[in-house]
Amino acid sequence: MDIAFLGSWLGSVPTAAIPLLLASVGLILSERAGVVSLGVEGYLAMGAMAAAAVTLESGSLVLGIAAGVAAGALLALGFGIAVVLLRAEQILAGLATMAIGLGAAGLLGRDYVHRTFEGVTNVDLGSLAQVPLLGQLLFAQDPLAYLAILLTLGGWWLIARSHFGLRLRAVGEDPATADVAGVNVQLHQLFAVTCCGALGGLGGAYLSAVASNVWVENMVAGRGWIALALVIFARWDPLRAILGAFLFGAVEALLPRLQASGFDAPVYLMGMLPYALTIVVLVAASCSRARRNAEPAALGQSYIRQDRR
Amino acid sequence: MKTRRHASLHLACIGLLASTALLALAPAQAAEAFKLAGKPKIAFIYAATVKDGGWNESIDNGRQQVASELGYPIAVAESIPEESTALKNAIDLYVQRGFNIIVTTSFGYSDGVLEAAKKYPQVAFLAASGTTNAANLESFYPRTYQAWYLAGIAAASVSPNKTLGMLGGFPVAPVNWDINGFALGAQSVDPTIKTIALYTNSWWDPAKESQAAKSILEQNADVIANNLSSAGPFTAAEKAGKASVGFQLDMSKMAPKGHLTSVVFHWDKYLVPTIRKIVDGSWEPNQYGAFPGLAEGVVDITPLSDKVPAEARAKIEAVRAQIIAGSFSPFSGPLFKQNGEEAVAAGAALDDAAIWNMDYLVKGTVGSVK
Repeated sequence: MDIAFLGSWLGSVPTAAIPLLLASVGLILSERAGVVSLGVEGYLAMGAMAAAAVTLESGSLVLGIAAGVAAGALLALGFGIAVVLLRAEQILAGLATMAIGLGAAGLLGRDYVHRTFEGVTNVDLGSLAQVPLLGQLLFAQDPLAYLAILLTLGGWWLIARSHFGLRLRAVGEDPATADVAGVNVQLHQLFAVTCCGALGGLGGAYLSAVASNVWVENMVAGRGWIALALVIFARWDPLRAILGAFLFGAVEALLPRLQASGFDAPVYLMGMLPYALTIVVLVAASCSRARRNAEPAALGQSYIRQDRR
Repeated sequence: MKTRRHASLHLACIGLLASTALLALAPAQAAEAFKLAGKPKIAFIYAATVKDGGWNESIDNGRQQVASELGYPIAVAESIPEESTALKNAIDLYVQRGFNIIVTTSFGYSDGVLEAAKKYPQVAFLAASGTTNAANLESFYPRTYQAWYLAGIAAASVSPNKTLGMLGGFPVAPVNWDINGFALGAQSVDPTIKTIALYTNSWWDPAKESQAAKSILEQNADVIANNLSSAGPFTAAEKAGKASVGFQLDMSKMAPKGHLTSVVFHWDKYLVPTIRKIVDGSWEPNQYGAFPGLAEGVVDITPLSDKVPAEARAKIEAVRAQIIAGSFSPFSGPLFKQNGEEAVAAGAALDDAAIWNMDYLVKGTVGSVK
């Protein structure tokens, strides 16, 4: 393993990590407000499909990515209305949302399957990218990857430092008390859930518009579920989600490189690694006291005022 | 579902192989010709959507060819899950409605279609990438390695770095034989050429496939051969200014600059004559499944791009003619495995059972089938 190998490996980590990061930051927002959004796999699919379809139709990547965000947000808004206003059971509604998202993406995207388009290109900072080891990782990514990091930092600030974040967390910890204190519980939850959809949609748009420049059915391939595990790993903290997403991205980017350079590794075993890692991460997280402290106390419970005790 | 279907397609073949392996032992059976009752009514059953840009779309192109050449009505069912109950319901309904020729298109249907064949002996069944056969059921899959050998010659002719790369799904026989065919074709141009074989461990993950293609390109490969049907690897090769080879459908649109050729199915070349025979009463299903190739035209390469030099074109044409005439097999000896072990001796060639059993990569490849 020489410097060049490490450099190009690290350089390709963000492409694998960013969709996971965006989806998990969205999930953190939603869960901090007390809503489990199991439909995130569906948001990713809708985002990926809409980004590809609109880019192909309009020729504009910006419009395409915006459409991806909007598609994810729209699906999430539907889920939000069901669980927040109509008090549907969150787990079941989430699973249904996932199925609707995957199905609708397949149906609406039928005419756009397999059509390549010019995707987002990496920024060119010239000689900075030639810096050994970290040059490619830091200075030769696509604009969306930098945006994703900014959004993550913004999400952290929003949750941890802003007044709004304080109310949001109060809703996730104890909606009745927040309600008494004059916080509009439903509105905060709807906002968080819709943001989760928008970020998931952006993650999906990243998959189609940056990572592969094409839309095909089932291309999300379980990334939404990995993001759900990452949230627990990150203990509902967007900053720690960066670490988790890059850890997974590093593994995903390493596997093909090891194979291509002739490393004699068992294919099936290596393919298992990200999922084995998920389990390890979940077990580690559930063993720690920090996790129990970090989990929003009212996670998964629906609330309306009449229920208040 | 799609993932399972793709997996199935290839894993499948292992089953078919088992029956092929028996071929050597079992005494030849005299199969009786199948008699169709009534007018031909054809139905195609797919495990996913027919617009998948790969496997199902290639078969559906064949179906349209059948419809236009034979003029029979053809019904289509899409996204029928690969489980016996779902398939059984679909087949029952078709048979009740008088359909008597049913084509299934997924490995996952193998057991279900055998059951149906026993239940409805008056109906003819054809199973693409199936593993089961009966008096009224024939499975079929083409000798794709023959066309991949030709593609390997084309790839080697545009590789100054003497390095090629090929992406596959899982290390199962029909993928291994494609990679080996490709590598051997390249080695027939230049014995020192290296082929990097990379399995992505999935049949359907464009983002992962782009990563894999980039990893191969980082190893100085000049050509990406894509045994999967998504566009990611083509785009990656195109961006890097490298050449590519496609599979299943003509992928030239995916890489207008770098595309050399695609290994494509022409399912009509099997379906049209077979359905004709079924209709005229001379169909005798092969008890070990049909294994057609370049000679039958069921698999072939698309016209070569201008990037392929004249010398390579001439060689490809000559080898293609030899394979069609039956005077040459890509898996002729002496053939060595990656570890140096001899797979087949000089003067001989791998037989069908050995091909269906291919669980290794040949010498000159980088990669692991474990």
